[in-house]
Amino acid sequence: MNEQALSLNGLVKDFDGKRAVDQISFTARKGEILGLLGPNGAGKTTTIRMIMNIIAPDQGSIEIMGRPFSDKMKDNIGYLPEERGLYRKMKIMDVLVFLGELKGLKANMIRERSRRLLQQFDLDQYEQKKVEELSKGMAQKLQIIATILHEPELLILDEPFSGLDPLNIELVTRILLEKKKEGVAIILSTHLMEYAEKIVDSVVMINQGRKVLDGKLTELKAQYGKKFIRIEYEGDGAFMSGLDYVKGYKDYGREMEIELIDLADKNRLLKELSARVSLNAFQLTEPSLQHIFIRKVNEGVAA
Amino acid sequence: MKLIAIIKKEYREIVKKKSFIISTILTPLLMAAFMFLPVMLMKMGKGEKIIQVADYSGFIYEKLLQSEKTPSTAKTAPGGRKADFNRDYVDKNTRAEGSKLKFKKIATAGLAAEELLKQNIQAIRDKKIDGFLLIPQSIKKDRKLFYYSGNISDFETNKYIQATIRTVVSRQILIEKQINPEIVNEATRNIEFETIKVKKEGTAKSSAGIEYMMSLFMLAILFSILMGYGQLIMRGVLEEKNSRIIEILISSTDTQHIFYGKIIGIGLAGLTQVAIWFLFGMALVGKFSMGLDSGILNFLTLEIGLYFIIFFLLGFFMYAILFSIVGAAVNTDQEAQQFAAPISYLLIIPFVMGIMVTQSPNSSVAVISSFIPLFTPTLMFMRITVSPPPLLQILSSIFMSLVFISFLAWLGAKIFRVGILMYGKKPSLKEILRWIRYK
Repeated sequence: MNEQALSLNGLVKDFDGKRAVDQISFTARKGEILGLLGPNGAGKTTTIRMIMNIIAPDQGSIEIMGRPFSDKMKDNIGYLPEERGLYRKMKIMDVLVFLGELKGLKANMIRERSRRLLQQFDLDQYEQKKVEELSKGMAQKLQIIATILHEPELLILDEPFSGLDPLNIELVTRILLEKKKEGVAIILSTHLMEYAEKIVDSVVMINQGRKVLDGKLTELKAQYGKKFIRIEYEGDGAFMSGLDYVKGYKDYGREMEIELIDLADKNRLLKELSARVSLNAFQLTEPSLQHIFIRKVNEGVAA
Repeated sequence: MKLIAIIKKEYREIVKKKSFIISTILTPLLMAAFMFLPVMLMKMGKGEKIIQVADYSGFIYEKLLQSEKTPSTAKTAPGGRKADFNRDYVDKNTRAEGSKLKFKKIATAGLAAEELLKQNIQAIRDKKIDGFLLIPQSIKKDRKLFYYSGNISDFETNKYIQATIRTVVSRQILIEKQINPEIVNEATRNIEFETIKVKKEGTAKSSAGIEYMMSLFMLAILFSILMGYGQLIMRGVLEEKNSRIIEILISSTDTQHIFYGKIIGIGLAGLTQVAIWFLFGMALVGKFSMGLDSGILNFLTLEIGLYFIIFFLLGFFMYAILFSIVGAAVNTDQEAQQFAAPISYLLIIPFVMGIMVTQSPNSSVAVISSFIPLFTPTLMFMRITVSPPPLLQILSSIFMSLVFISFLAWLGAKIFRVGILMYGKKPSLKEILRWIRYK
């Protein structure tokens, strides 16, 4: 099940002399969710647009299912753009029929599949409503339906969770996992690393147009090892900056992620913490994706 | 297949719009009103008018009364508004068909004109009567007559009273001088001025005024359709761009399919509308041709209808492409309006020139500008309606327009491809031109 679905080779794109994407290469496999991560403006959307042949790369090549891009492949890809919108005045079913026909499906088949999907997404009672009558979250779900309607083998989702409430995030996550099980290759572009961390199998991190990290999530985390300590606490954590055996920490207010210079100092830290704050949890852990990302970016700057 | 899906969607989207349905119904109604109203107004009448007459001359009232009783059906004949002294009292041609006048005599014996005037003005203010006609004793000498009314802009009534009394007075003078009215009548008879239009086959009686009006009227319809659909396309493209749905479209099919599908789909919707109007117009003309001025009937031939559709399509594709480029290039409605303004001027120029073209359709300016592709749809069509140019000219202008449209479509598809994905700041014209070179 590790057949290659998409591979990028040294993609470069300049906009008016500014390099937006610089030598990006990675591979996505069938039955795998690949997280394309990076802050806003890192070049994720430009990369995706090149994959979708919306804009042409200045250098490099793209292969989908082992072949260079062709128009025929468009029917085999599902693409959810970052900024979403649908025809506001059209009825839900009409939108789906139109978008489905653009993917080469027959109207009857689209209706059949749409009904099933609308039900799955809890939108079945809106079939004959206009898009403008939907809430933002519902419109988002409708667009996700349109993306998977033609049962593509490659799914490219740009920020699929933005605008969704926790219930719907769970729903979409479940559907993505189902698709993954069916052998679909999924590329999930997002800047929300906490979400990504939970479902991606491998990670490509980009910053300022360059790839800073690439690999399987489990391997990446293993690389950093359980050198981190996660605590839950109540109180004032400001004293942390004065501890000389702490390499770095990230204070979220009620949670803290702490990296020690030497893990042997963990008991010293625990003592210090028990004296200063009310401690609810103290745990050795792997670094979060966010932490790894920040580390990588800083390394890049230092070098 | 995908092209058809886009055409279908664009077509349905427009045809289902309320504004489409309303304008489809309303425009022919307005057109019918424009054509039938003058005739109907004349026929329907404006109700009865009561006019009190104080006749100090003593001989006029009887004649007025006679004229009132005379049923009149004749329409205003071209050019004829000269008194017929041979008839006793009335110039039928100026008889107001609309307002029926009822004259009432007031006794004048021993009463001063000022006194009567005061009473009657009050009566007019109280709306008891509509008018007061004061005929002074000296009318024969002074040829002066006073008419008081709340509404002095009722042209027909004024004209009628004036003409009738002039005839009556003139005749009275002739009789007193013992001159046979018939001789005077013969000597002063009007010369009728008939305008005949020379067409390719035969000739048709036609009035120049109506021809001119109809020609401008058709131009106005053409202009408003081109503007209306142009704006519609522009907004449609802008919506797709702003809602980013264009990315889904581009990732599903060719940009050219999107571009052409859109223009063809909306074009078919426009054609549907024009076809409905066309059929409606044919039915209307067929059914009510009796009520129409023959000038309009002569104007609205099948030939004109076909040319209208041909030039509508040519104009449609030219301006649709221009407007869709604007929609793709800009980001907001305001920017769109800014960029659309020059295109609107391109449409307004022939509209302004149209007046000149109707007057001298074969002047070199008219001929040359009707060959400029952007003006061909309007100006060549106008020339055809006013004075058909040689078929070769028509065909070559159509051919040139088609070449121009193909060029525009090629250019448009390129600019569209780049512009539709450019977000952010408003592009300059220079940038837009650079987009053409992008791959």
